[in-house]
Amino acid sequence: MITIDEITIVVDGREIIYDYSEQIPAGSITVIVGPNGCGKSTLLAAIAGDIAPGKGTITIDEHHPILASANALAGIRSMVVQNQRFTLGFTVRQIIEMAGDSAQVMKALELTDLADRLVTTLSGGEAQRVAIAQAIAQNTPVLLLDEPLAAQDVHSRGRIITLLREMAELGKTIVVVAHSNETELSWADKVIKQFH
Amino acid sequence: MKKWLPAFLLVGAFVGSLYAGATQIDNFWTALLNPGSNEILWQIRFPRVTAAVIVGAALAVAGLLAQGACNNAVAEPTILGTAAGASFGAVLAISAGLVQVGTIGAIACGTIGALLTTSLTFKLAAIRGALSSFGLILVGIAVSAIFTALVGIASAMVSRADARSISFWSLGSLALITSDNLIGVAITTVIGIVIAWKIAPALDRLSLGDATAFHLGVNVARIRLIALVALSILAGGAVSTVGSIAFIGLAAPHIARFIYGPAHRNLVANSAVIGALIVVVADTVSRTIAQPNELPIGLAAALLGAPVLIALVTFKNNVWRTQ
Repeated sequence: MITIDEITIVVDGREIIYDYSEQIPAGSITVIVGPNGCGKSTLLAAIAGDIAPGKGTITIDEHHPILASANALAGIRSMVVQNQRFTLGFTVRQIIEMAGDSAQVMKALELTDLADRLVTTLSGGEAQRVAIAQAIAQNTPVLLLDEPLAAQDVHSRGRIITLLREMAELGKTIVVVAHSNETELSWADKVIKQFH
Repeated sequence: MKKWLPAFLLVGAFVGSLYAGATQIDNFWTALLNPGSNEILWQIRFPRVTAAVIVGAALAVAGLLAQGACNNAVAEPTILGTAAGASFGAVLAISAGLVQVGTIGAIACGTIGALLTTSLTFKLAAIRGALSSFGLILVGIAVSAIFTALVGIASAMVSRADARSISFWSLGSLALITSDNLIGVAITTVIGIVIAWKIAPALDRLSLGDATAFHLGVNVARIRLIALVALSILAGGAVSTVGSIAFIGLAAPHIARFIYGPAHRNLVANSAVIGALIVVVADTVSRTIAQPNELPIGLAAALLGAPVLIALVTFKNNVWRTQ
């Protein structure tokens, strides 16, 4: 369970999130939607421990992300950033294995045929799926994804959603920031539209 | 075969470099198999070629650490100001009569100078917020220029021959190396390489960007600090012993990536071998091409390293994507 307790986040002097509280239950998919610049990614980054709220607290079960070490946090949550860039020519398999076992997740996301391709040669959608695969391979109780469906075709989108649903049913807590074009959200257990 | 080719070439270059020189060594193979039997071979050339191996390995791994820690394809000790800082630290202490070139004291001063200038580059590059690759390189070039000028001024103000010339500090030379000089630089090189090997998996993750590396469990600031210290130890040891040699830190890791891929554990040893190979060949060229004169090794290293740079920007490759 993720507990957000009266947090306020100010970025560059602008109050992005104000006095916001929320509870995100374990074993569910929560989707955060809203227009560009409304603070969706900021909220996700705060849950991930990337940025500290100016006021209030966030806890993942008993852990405070902002207080935990990088190593401890990597065992609690994994995260897919928006537009993951790959600068070095690792193979798809090597990238996923930086986080954990690769075989099962590559099969689930139809990446097996790309296993030995260099990530620097992938399309945007393929690179995004590799980033998702890496985060899943990390095998943490909480999975955070920032616009994971943005560059996917209909088939890949369906694959990813099916996989996320299976993971939620296994008890994982999944939080997804959805692109503003994403309107069909029946696969979500909870949708957050306002966090002010 | 590909895996071992640079190592075989290094062994060949090492023996060839022992053989080549202004003075012909009679019964070379017999002398080579009997340590101490020939003064020129064992008192002059052997320490010199061994120093070339150690310094080449040190500068190559320093470049690898700079590129990995900055996640930047063109980072290397001379561009980040590390080499100029090492020269300045060493030349200041030598000019003051506190230490001599090639001693542990000079290496310590060079390492402190390297550490301070590299830290200065990082601090200045991050002064307006997040550390950008472009800002880091621009600031590094500026810091390097300032400290290179200071080295020139300091070396011009001292008339003692043992303080070495500006040519030595900016282009490097192995001409005055003795067996005694090898110990200090060997120690710093081993320390730096061991640290690089230990943090190599974290450098792999750092290539995915600071945020993703952090999500995968890397303490980014700590790893960058460790890399900075190791880079300064390597460059400090090498530069305070033989002066500054450019291109090795840039070219050797990139050549290794072309051959062996980007995983840093593989690259530590392979960059070291390739860096050693380039410096041994460059030193051999520098002392044989214009006999009886000797060229600064930095000139020969640039002639060998620059074409690699040109190849990197000319040929399409997927080893390092910059955009």
